[in-house]
Amino acid sequence: MNGTITKPWIAIRKTRSFKDIMRALYDVNPISKQILGICSALAVTVQLNTAIVMSIALTLVVAFSNLAISCMRRAIPRNIRIIVEVAVIATLVIMADEILKAFLYDISKQLSVFVGLIITNCIVLGRAEGFALSNPPFRSFMDGIANGIGYSSILIGVAFFRELLGSGKLLGFQVVPNAFYEFGYVNNGLMVLAPGAFIIIGLFVWLEHTLVKRD
Amino acid sequence: MSSRLKSILFAAALCFVCSIVLTTATTGLQRFQQKNLLIDKHRNVLMSVGLVEQDRRYTAEKIESLYRENIKPLWVDPSGQLIEESRRGETDLPLYVYLKEEQIEAYIVPFNSRGLWGRIQGYLAIDSNGSTISGFTVYKHSETPGLGGEIEKAWFQKNWVGKKIVDRSGEFVSVSIAKGAVEDTVKSDKHSHYVDGISGATLTGKYLSAGLKEILENYEPVSIKFRKNLISKPPGHS
Repeated sequence: MNGTITKPWIAIRKTRSFKDIMRALYDVNPISKQILGICSALAVTVQLNTAIVMSIALTLVVAFSNLAISCMRRAIPRNIRIIVEVAVIATLVIMADEILKAFLYDISKQLSVFVGLIITNCIVLGRAEGFALSNPPFRSFMDGIANGIGYSSILIGVAFFRELLGSGKLLGFQVVPNAFYEFGYVNNGLMVLAPGAFIIIGLFVWLEHTLVKRD
Repeated sequence: MSSRLKSILFAAALCFVCSIVLTTATTGLQRFQQKNLLIDKHRNVLMSVGLVEQDRRYTAEKIESLYRENIKPLWVDPSGQLIEESRRGETDLPLYVYLKEEQIEAYIVPFNSRGLWGRIQGYLAIDSNGSTISGFTVYKHSETPGLGGEIEKAWFQKNWVGKKIVDRSGEFVSVSIAKGAVEDTVKSDKHSHYVDGISGATLTGKYLSAGLKEILENYEPVSIKFRKNLISKPPGHS
């Protein structure tokens, strides 16, 4: 027990939740390893702030849908389980959409249909069906958080490069100095378009496959 | 209990719980959403006359104070007379005027046109000469993002500025969205009545052009009065 008090970091690293998160970041990353949720990753990554809001929304939806489904897992009749999962997810997504409309109106306008499309994001249904149905609530919740972070890491990474190279800004603030433009530096128009996201995601996938070699 | 009955009961209970949760959330948040919607409308009115820029952030207070200082909501009766809010009749149309030192600089026509997937709502600002468009904005639509959805982007909206709703002889012609770039598809004498279209969104352009024409026709009485210089001040200032 002493170890947990004097070196909390090591204790955290030994927990299952931490291992789950690390696994979701590298080994089984939903986007770069499982190639899930690509649609929204292409659409909302032109700017960093939309990507961050989308990431938070998706992480919360996966975590809470996992939690809710895991709590009901013994009661859900097997033959209607997909319907139940989708109903729970849809409820959470509509709530997320309503909350965004109330408090982050500008961003919700930019995200437009893509918040609603979280319902059809394969990551959410995949985790509900593949994990939450057979695991206890807390682990399911942490699994949702882990996968949300895995998704967010790629989304925010892609948005970082797209906003920086495509419009010379980060979070809406100019970061490429004006002197650069005077010397003939031009923003890369491709990064603003969807194909730019494809290329960056491709590079991320390549990078992760080289970094995390399987034996 | 048979498994079929159990499934039905479970589904019914789930639906009940979900609907309660959603109803609570929407009714609880409605107040905030409506306030946002109103500010967004005001922001678009201001944007149509160039008082705020599309890509800059403004606080809600800034928008409201700019709106109070420069914009006056009025009504138009069928003969084209401007009417105060308090004296409006059943058939009158809404209109906003942009005031600069008590003079009308431009008038703003709200439009609600058919689009491909749903209604397109926005504002068209017309200069006080009654014929030149000084701004176009869209605050609500359900067109496809990246295709018809481009109508809310600055590049598309910029094209409207300076276009004429009347031809040289003074006849009403409205402004339409071309199928492609105006330079390539429209005869040069009609360039001032067309804006560049959006590739992949021909139908959005078609419906919006038709919708705008209809709306502007309804507002022709007041536009004619502006063209003849019969109106320069809001009612009550004459």
